[in-house]
Amino acid sequence: MKIFSRVVAAMMSAVLALSLAACGGSSAAKSGVITMQIWDTAQRDGMQAIADAYHEKNPDVTVEIQVTSWDEYWTKLEAAATSNTLPDVFWMHTNYILQYADNGMLADLSNLYDSESTTYYTDHFSDISLSNAQGSDGKIYGVPKDKDTVGLVYNKEMFDQAGVAYPDETWTWDNLVSASQTIYEKTGKYGYMAYADDQLGYWNFVYQNGGYILNDDKTAAGFDQKATIDAMKFYIGLQSYDWCPDQKYFAETAPGNAFFSGQGAMYLEGNWNLMSLMKNYPEMQGKWDVAVLPACPNPESGDGRATISNGLSYATSAKNANNETVLDFLRFLGSEEGQRIQGESGVAIPAYEGLENTWVSAFDQFDYKLNVSVFTEMFDYSVQSVNDKSRPNWKSKITDELLKIYSGAVDIDTGLANMNQIINDAIAQANG
Amino acid sequence: MKSEKSLQRSMQLNKVLTYFFLILGAVIMIFPFVWMLLTSLKTLAESMQVPPTILPANPVFENFTYAITSLPFFNLYMNTILLILFRVICAVVFSSMAGYAFAKLNFRFKGFLFGLILVQMMMPSQIFIIPQYQMLAKLSLTNSIFALVFPGLVSAFGTFFLRQSYMGIPKEIGEAAYLDGCNQWQTFTKVMAPLTGTSVAALTVFTAVFAYGDLMWPLVVNTDITMMTLSSGLATLKGQFTTNYPVLMAGSLLAMIPMLILYLIFQKQFVEGISMTGGK
Amino acid sequence: MFQKQTLAEKREQRWAYLMIAPTILGLLILNYYPLLDTVRLSFSKTQTFGKSTFAGLENYITMFSSVEFWKATWNTVWFCILTVPVGMAIALLVALLLNAKVRFKSGFRAIYFLPMVVAPAAVSMVWRWMFNGQYGIINTLLGREINWLTNPATALLACAIVAIWSSVGYDAVLLLSGLQNISRTYYEAAEIDGAGKIRQFFSITLPMISPTLFVTLIMRMMASLKVYDLIYMMIDTANPVLPDVQSLMYLFYREAFVAGNKGYAAAICMWTILLIGIVTIVQFIGQKKWVNYDV
Repeated sequence: MKIFSRVVAAMMSAVLALSLAACGGSSAAKSGVITMQIWDTAQRDGMQAIADAYHEKNPDVTVEIQVTSWDEYWTKLEAAATSNTLPDVFWMHTNYILQYADNGMLADLSNLYDSESTTYYTDHFSDISLSNAQGSDGKIYGVPKDKDTVGLVYNKEMFDQAGVAYPDETWTWDNLVSASQTIYEKTGKYGYMAYADDQLGYWNFVYQNGGYILNDDKTAAGFDQKATIDAMKFYIGLQSYDWCPDQKYFAETAPGNAFFSGQGAMYLEGNWNLMSLMKNYPEMQGKWDVAVLPACPNPESGDGRATISNGLSYATSAKNANNETVLDFLRFLGSEEGQRIQGESGVAIPAYEGLENTWVSAFDQFDYKLNVSVFTEMFDYSVQSVNDKSRPNWKSKITDELLKIYSGAVDIDTGLANMNQIINDAIAQANG
Repeated sequence: MKSEKSLQRSMQLNKVLTYFFLILGAVIMIFPFVWMLLTSLKTLAESMQVPPTILPANPVFENFTYAITSLPFFNLYMNTILLILFRVICAVVFSSMAGYAFAKLNFRFKGFLFGLILVQMMMPSQIFIIPQYQMLAKLSLTNSIFALVFPGLVSAFGTFFLRQSYMGIPKEIGEAAYLDGCNQWQTFTKVMAPLTGTSVAALTVFTAVFAYGDLMWPLVVNTDITMMTLSSGLATLKGQFTTNYPVLMAGSLLAMIPMLILYLIFQKQFVEGISMTGGK
Repeated sequence: MFQKQTLAEKREQRWAYLMIAPTILGLLILNYYPLLDTVRLSFSKTQTFGKSTFAGLENYITMFSSVEFWKATWNTVWFCILTVPVGMAIALLVALLLNAKVRFKSGFRAIYFLPMVVAPAAVSMVWRWMFNGQYGIINTLLGREINWLTNPATALLACAIVAIWSSVGYDAVLLLSGLQNISRTYYEAAEIDGAGKIRQFFSITLPMISPTLFVTLIMRMMASLKVYDLIYMMIDTANPVLPDVQSLMYLFYREAFVAGNKGYAAAICMWTILLIGIVTIVQFIGQKKWVNYDV
């Protein structure tokens, strides 16, 4: 019985020790330590390399990289913003930047480089990159980090087996369909795997057809436009072909996994995933390649070409507007050197213009030369990723409605009309 | 004679049925683990073959390599063990105290205070996540073991559970101790608490399982992968490899191993503990 | 009002307060403060970053007129019906079998308790893989092509199977400890009286473990009404079946954390607490009819 009380005493002291030990934990407020929060594990090493380079130049400042997964990143960032405990530097995504910037959470970085050049941003970054980093007021709230495009990934072996020529810049939607059909007939494998996704799916087709999801001044949705409706019907209709799995399949098997296990011949992929795909599927190297997106053969307007280009940026909280330690690190992140290191990691294309090839040449390490330059070529006709400040509120609801169309719970016309309504309601609510 | 025989026969039948159900159940319980192992040894292409192969054609070990390079398993093991340890200590110590008081002592507002315990059990834990995160963020305590333990510092369920257990101890035992000159604290620590061994053992297991299974809290409160637990680490792996099941299965197996070893060691004592204290 | 307390009673009360202080303080800070905030939010129109204005019953009115919400309520109740009675019956059977005189008892025990040592994330991953409609082993073994997780008719059932599989060992531990507390002398006496096994079960075993059974039942019930993690891991947001299976807390998660409707989500949460409260109160009233405390 004495043992028990001794055990209790030991436990109590352990609890006490624990709570004291916790005080030694990392904290954002320490001078000389900058915390940087990101969501992509694949980019951890690249970010660490930038942090190391900065530390070498500024030995009294250490940058601590923290990686969270995508969903939790935003849950946590919002909670942190609400309680005024944002990390020093964090990645911003176009889905959220307007929400954060317009609500005064982010520091205005428009004049970050004034000591260097007042035209630094426009000199070194494209219009799309800058608009991905702007608030609704046109001010810059993040240092552009990277820019991306969406391309077509295809299985060379299946094309060879079916006797179909590889996809190239002459391809249109018609080729996509006919090649898929032939491959399915000859090899029994799926053709182009079209699944419910926006950036890696229907957005590209909508803009190729001259349609839009949001109008230019972001005051109305475009799901009531003929060009948008036609493109949506084409894209959703792809799943009715035998050569395309249905949405139930994709709910259980990600298209990338279906592709790399040899179940299907084509799918859309963003350039930011290519490096991990090369590394994670070494036995597939040489058996697949990438091409530009097929064009729309008879667009409602435009030349039928488009690819969605998104871009992240590095932001800091409004309270750091005059924190020179943080601002100097941000300046480094947007510098030629900081962007070059990022490109060399091979995970993201630097937003800094002229450094696109640092990313392309990162793929030289592999025996098989993937045709990655198609991703940088597509910047010529890329379209800015869809965003407005109410996007976080409508994003998941649009997905739900789209899934209802796929499952047949609503017919496509009603579904698209509902999607239009959902976005317009969200816009009205955000403004009112 | 005849009834003796039929009795024996029915005993025999009983035995057969008992074993039949036990073995059937055991197969159902074990099969997912077997499948986990078999899948982890296949290539992605083989895992998605139709019809599936049961045994891997050529066992490969790359999936384990991917899992190990993607997750810092050593940190995850340590964090999980520390999380479990501290949550169990807190739950057992504080719940024993409160459970004893609610079961055996009289005080004002007892009904109301016990109501607070019961109502807490009805609250879904998701509503605590953001406020608790903000408390820790304001104290700059995120990214620490303490942050992991924080929501489990006290346990309403533990209090309720141990109160039930103290209720089962006859009043006379406490009164005897009191007459022997023990004060309330001594009665509790020296006489009553040792009698709840079974329940404390059960509470230990439950608290450990709850803590181990907690998925979202570690993901939210601890940003750094080196400060996560096995559950949240696996969720991260899933985020990375989506539906590449061979890698996910390899990761799951790696996450299981140390817990399995601990459990196999602990299990014997646990079961013995139950049977020993169970004799009344 | 209060009766005057004697010195001994006062001392007892002081001890009692000291002993419950950590737990009560902890609950107030960790749980009741967030609860009050949820109550406040449920009557507010919320915007991002904590801004909110009083909105009266607006969230509740929206909620009660939402089809999605009623569907989620039904899904939650249905999940509870699918898992609790069946799960409890299986757990009791396992506990009884394990309590019998069998060989390799500790081996069997170890196997049944195995899911407890596996992270639930791993459990849902392996089951999700086995239930896969295209490449899953379950369909191969059954020789059928059932879209377990993408068909509205089977998706929640599949989740319930996983829930039962992972909790059987857990509940059986509790029941087993109750069974082992029953003195052998009761059974010996019954055998002398000539009572059969089944009689013994209903007249000795069941009443004697009813308090343990009650605790397990309450626990399981509350957990299943709060279900979220399991469905979240089994059915992802790209699954068209989601509206047909999402539970109240899944809906809460999506409204609060994904769509940013904290006020509306808070109202869903209040409803869930109310639902659990009603079910629990009914249980506590009902227990008088079958739970036997005077052992």
